[in-house]
Amino acid sequence: MTLPLLLLLLVILALGSFLAGRARALMVAGGDARRLHSLPAHHGLNLMLAFALPSAVALAGWLLARPAAAPGPAAMLAIPAIGLAAAASLWLTMRPESRARNEVEAAAKGFLILCSVIAIATTVGIVLSLLFETAGFFRQYPAAKFFFGTVWRPDFRGDSDLGFLPLLWGTIYVSAIALAVAVPVGLFAAVYMSEYASPRFRTFAKPAIEMLAGIPTIVYGLFALITVGPLLRDWIASPLGLGTSGASVATAGLVMGVMTIPFVSSLSDDIINAVPQSLRDGSLGLGATKSETIRQVVLPAALPGIVGAVLLAASRAIGETMIVVLGAGAAAKLSLNPFEAMTTVTVKIVSQLTGDTDFSAPETLVAFALGLTLFALTLGLNILALIIVRKYREQYE
Amino acid sequence: MNDLRLTERDLDNRTARMTARKVQVHYGQNHALKDVDVDILDKTVTAFIGPSGCGKSTFLRCLNRMNDTIAACRVEGQITLEGEDIYDRRVDPVQLRAKVGMVFQKPNPFPKSIYDNVAYGPRIHGLARNRAELDEVVEKSLRRAALWAEVKDRLHAPGTGLSGGQQQRLCIARAVATEPEVLLMDEPCSALDPIATAQVEELIDELRENFSVVIVTHSMQQAARVSQKTAFFHMGHLVEHGDTAQIFTNPRDPRTESYITGRIG
Ligand SMILES: Nc1ncnc2c1ncn2[C@@H]1O[C@H](COP(=O)(O)OP(=O)(O)OP(=O)(O)O)[C@@H](O)[C@H]1O
Ligand SMILES: [Mg+2]
Repeated sequence: MTLPLLLLLLVILALGSFLAGRARALMVAGGDARRLHSLPAHHGLNLMLAFALPSAVALAGWLLARPAAAPGPAAMLAIPAIGLAAAASLWLTMRPESRARNEVEAAAKGFLILCSVIAIATTVGIVLSLLFETAGFFRQYPAAKFFFGTVWRPDFRGDSDLGFLPLLWGTIYVSAIALAVAVPVGLFAAVYMSEYASPRFRTFAKPAIEMLAGIPTIVYGLFALITVGPLLRDWIASPLGLGTSGASVATAGLVMGVMTIPFVSSLSDDIINAVPQSLRDGSLGLGATKSETIRQVVLPAALPGIVGAVLLAASRAIGETMIVVLGAGAAAKLSLNPFEAMTTVTVKIVSQLTGDTDFSAPETLVAFALGLTLFALTLGLNILALIIVRKYREQYE
Repeated sequence: MNDLRLTERDLDNRTARMTARKVQVHYGQNHALKDVDVDILDKTVTAFIGPSGCGKSTFLRCLNRMNDTIAACRVEGQITLEGEDIYDRRVDPVQLRAKVGMVFQKPNPFPKSIYDNVAYGPRIHGLARNRAELDEVVEKSLRRAALWAEVKDRLHAPGTGLSGGQQQRLCIARAVATEPEVLLMDEPCSALDPIATAQVEELIDELRENFSVVIVTHSMQQAARVSQKTAFFHMGHLVEHGDTAQIFTNPRDPRTESYITGRIG
């Protein structure tokens, strides 16, 4: 017998114990379900849990103990037997006044707790593994040189300069340009859509804007590389004497901004729509114009949500890689000129981990340090957002 | 009866601040108001009474064009303010609403501080020249709405943190602060305790010295106490309109009589 077969057997037995529990409940109640404390289905579920939980624990324990082997005949029988024993004892002790419903409720709560623990544990695990690798990196490369170094010049033969600042600068610069495009355009589009547009226009325009979010970022990257980059170079950068590079921070920022417009607009639109009509009526009823109403009542009421939307867009922009590679290039540089090629943290993480890598060299391990710093950055951003939102809640609710 | 008609027409010509003639309102297919003729007299409190859903709020919203914000709503007929048709294309509804203020059926304070709620209208219309003047307007309005004593120490706390009845009084203060010529109040006391109700009624009486007030109410006693004119609506029709004393003591229409004596509604 094999593992899939064992699983099938367990499922069949679990279903069987549900039916058995339901039937038993009716039996102890003498056929009258009204005499029961809990519905027959609760007793069924309870019995099923009584079977399934011990079996699952036994199965997990057995798999952990002998991960490679297929279950032998002994285990095949022992695992369901444990569950059956537990179920049988419950079956025997069942009374009309047994509180199966409360136990099922407790089990449901336990299941929900388990799910949130999984989510949290995964995050903690990821952070821990990042921390571990990062510590390895800092044993080989001084932290001060990493955090304050202004030159990024990795060399796999050793003696690299792994300064973080040029990458951080590139990330901030590109994201700032992206947000400068996405936030006003997205927000004003959302205001138009929710406050001014006719329902017919809305039904057509909203999905059209949201379609922007469905375009794969590599396509945006191509667009940046082939259209926007040369356009900016030929029409703005060259005439102004600001450089002749097709790849530039401005290119990547603009295209990334377009990509993040739907994040801002779609969320803000929903949030603005959720502002109760009575607030608008109140303002209009005092003789405020539509735009005064929007500026002074609707947007402040929607602000916490809008901040959330902007932060979502910001973390998208910070994490974006493809558009940067194709739009801004891969040269780490500290410069103020938006028409120069630069690059970001994520791009460098990819380039340090592709090709021939040696997971003990600092040139590879630096990727983890970069990842951890990026994580700390977005975490800080989220906390900031939380503080802003809370401050406004206090003031406005 | 003829005499009454005559005096009413007399009043029309002299002191009617707002007049409504043959007003019809449709919400899509629903014919919510049919042929309503009402005069809102100067320095008078007019009460609208009638069973729920008869169109009182709808008519009130016609008077300051709040129905413009409802896409499905269509208003026909003629409504004038000081002789000017308010549905004329040259009339700016925004200006109109500054002159014809409104307190809504449900309290709707803005998510701002108590102070900013009251200062909202004066700020928009530039009614105060400096902070001190604004402070004064805010205090006066809050006092008139019988809320000052309760909130004077927390003017900068959020208005949404007040109790339901306090919120309604805040909305009244907000509407009063704009100094409208006509104040429309849609069941302003439905969330208030008897003490606050008495204070609001006092305010209404005081406002009458300068403004016209229209109040929708489900309380016959309140209508009798505060109003000089009463209009009775039933199923979209204006059934009867006249002096409050006459409506309550000697109604002409049997429907009015059964409503005020509690037999329909
Ligand atoms: N926004 C709206 N859209 C569609 N129909 C509406 C709308 N508002 C009111 N109506 C309809 O118009 C009619 C009159 O409603 P209105 O709100 O004026 O009643 P009311 O007399 O104020 O009642 P109440 O005393 O319960 O407040 C009702 O039939 C109602 O269904
Ligand atoms: Mg109403």
